[in-house]
Amino acid sequence: MRKVLYRFFVDFEKEEKWVNEMGAQGWHLEKYSFARFSFTKGEPGEFIYRNEFISGMSSADKKDYFEFLKDSGISIINEMGSWVYMKKAAADGPFEIYTDTKSKISYYKRMLNIFALLFFINAWMGIANISIFGDKTSLEFVNQSAGVFNIAAATLIAFPILKIIKCKRSLEKDQQFFE
Amino acid sequence: MEEKAPLTEGVYYILLSLYEPRHGYGIMQFVSELSNGRVVLGAGTIYGAIKTLVNKKWIVPLDEDGRKKEYMITDTGKRVVKYEVKRLSELYNNGLMIAKGEDLS
Repeated sequence: MRKVLYRFFVDFEKEEKWVNEMGAQGWHLEKYSFARFSFTKGEPGEFIYRNEFISGMSSADKKDYFEFLKDSGISIINEMGSWVYMKKAAADGPFEIYTDTKSKISYYKRMLNIFALLFFINAWMGIANISIFGDKTSLEFVNQSAGVFNIAAATLIAFPILKIIKCKRSLEKDQQFFE
Repeated sequence: MEEKAPLTEGVYYILLSLYEPRHGYGIMQFVSELSNGRVVLGAGTIYGAIKTLVNKKWIVPLDEDGRKKEYMITDTGKRVVKYEVKRLSELYNNGLMIAKGEDLS
């Protein structure tokens, strides 16, 4: 049995949590693409799911990393954009990709770099499209629509950015006392 | 200077596991066995640490003949480990000396 659900999450951790809740009910993620999740019915709670943002890896590195994940009993569900969904049998015990504060912080930093870049590109394009190019030509409507789209994208990216900054700060605070 | 900074538990154990050539998953298993299951390193944590350690030249990738890339500790890496063992033994001995009489089991 299959089920396709459309959900859009601005918070990637909430998204991961939701995918795990679906899994706990026996709906196992089979394929993920932008805001579209397809599930198949199976044993409830059989797998633990994780998502990871892997932007910035060369293709050789990625091959290496995926090989390593497979060796560790992790299966890659699929890759979409810079996001990867993976799962591991719950019977194998806890499954986390990053297990110490230091590596969690550097993961957040990597994400922040890319997200901040996307935010500024969209914000700049949005302002440019709406104000500068928005003169009285026939293209005005097109430019303004593009501008509105850019601003919307920038706003959406701002949510995960703020969340990552918050998580990163709290980890950095912990790091003064604990590893 | 950076050779003398305290290592994370993960990096310390990864370096120890590379006194013999091992690939990523081999490191994960070895560290878990060595610590009786206390330290279970996530794949992302190990992979990131390997990259950093290669850049620092504390470990080197061996020539790839098989499917998986294996790594081995370098002399610099061994020096770092020796310094760390010394530092940890100082921490351990001071702890023992001052907190003795308490239950340290």
